[in-house]
Amino acid sequence: MQTEQPTIVLVDDSEAMRDFFAQVAEEANFRLLAYASADASLEFLGSERPQLLFLNVMMPNKDGYTFLKELRSEDLHSETKIVMISSKDYAQDRVAAKQLGVLEFVAKPVSKKSLRTIIDKYLGGHSAGA
Amino acid sequence: MSNCYFRFWGVRGSYAAPHESHLGVGGNTSCVEIRADDHLLVCDGGTGIISLGEALMGQSELSEMMVLFTHYHWDHICGLPFFQPAFSPSWNIRFFGPGDTAADIEERLSNQMKAPYFPVETETWMADINYVEPNEAGLQYGPIKISYFNVHHPGVTYGYCAEVNDKRIVYVSDNEVQFLKSSIAKRIHEFDEDEHELLERMVSEQRSAELSSIEGVDVLIHDSQYTPNDYEKKRGWGHSCYVDTVNLAIDADVKCLYLYHHDPTYNDDQVSAIHQDCLQIIRERKADMECHVAREGMKIDL
Repeated sequence: MQTEQPTIVLVDDSEAMRDFFAQVAEEANFRLLAYASADASLEFLGSERPQLLFLNVMMPNKDGYTFLKELRSEDLHSETKIVMISSKDYAQDRVAAKQLGVLEFVAKPVSKKSLRTIIDKYLGGHSAGA
Repeated sequence: MSNCYFRFWGVRGSYAAPHESHLGVGGNTSCVEIRADDHLLVCDGGTGIISLGEALMGQSELSEMMVLFTHYHWDHICGLPFFQPAFSPSWNIRFFGPGDTAADIEERLSNQMKAPYFPVETETWMADINYVEPNEAGLQYGPIKISYFNVHHPGVTYGYCAEVNDKRIVYVSDNEVQFLKSSIAKRIHEFDEDEHELLERMVSEQRSAELSSIEGVDVLIHDSQYTPNDYEKKRGWGHSCYVDTVNLAIDADVKCLYLYHHDPTYNDDQVSAIHQDCLQIIRERKADMECHVAREGMKIDL
């Protein structure tokens, strides 16, 4: 019996990161929707809630914090599981992310193994069984 | 004849350094004045803004200005409580910096003057104060077109580009260049061979992003706080090693670089040695970029 794939959304202006997530999605059997900007991601996030959302911090135009605050102000995303992912590995950024209710702050670069561990942690061992 | 220039009122990073051995470069923290005829743009409100305020109170030509903040760390805002024009009813001042709304900007600037940290609050400011709403498309102040972008420093920190008299001046006071590249170098053992190509692409993307905001600009005022030795100890503090700064500026075809946000522990001789090394790097790379030390009081016509 085929189980339904969980949906993971990635919002990151880095094409390399989007390709990396696509590789992990294929190996770990989840549905990935990857967007290059906050505005573009509203195509999905405007009306639906993913099982897990990865959000980059530094992006042109709308940064990850601003977008996160906007999402949290919507009923739809008040409880969405969100992981921040950023090359800005500073204590102040980790605290700011925590205050905005993210599950975890992940410093780039992240390995496939680490990413799968994070996904397992928040999706109940999904990718480990893939 | 136009009157367009920029002037350094504060060039130190982190904290003021009013020591005799440092005063050839200057002891005040971040503040740069950009003048376009009768429009005055100020970048940051470190202790340097106090002297700027005193100078402005002694003239009658100007009565309005816009002040941009890269972020709200103390060395960039701590001169504001002593900025005389804010307390004068004859001035009109617009403030802008990181924040989702104008109210956010007001709150962040006001907090440092609340009790018990300061005897008077911003409510005592008598100038006509306005906080500018963020606009991703950029800002316009008189003839000055202003754009802003995120840089690599703790919290949300902006770099600014001001177009004045057909010249582009970019002000990036705090920015840790090549941070991702050094993170990868330190953690490369965590990755399998087949992931290395991805890492190279990430470094390349970040480099492109760093270059894009300063490509070909006439003037770049940029964080160059640490020597290579000190950067090794202070990697992850949000500031650049001068070697990375000068190489970034060369790669971006910047016309003129001003080394800025000098470490407060470096005396005049140490900053001079940094400058000489930067000039050597420029010669070795056969670049024709100008490179200067930003010194307090220095005024450059545009």
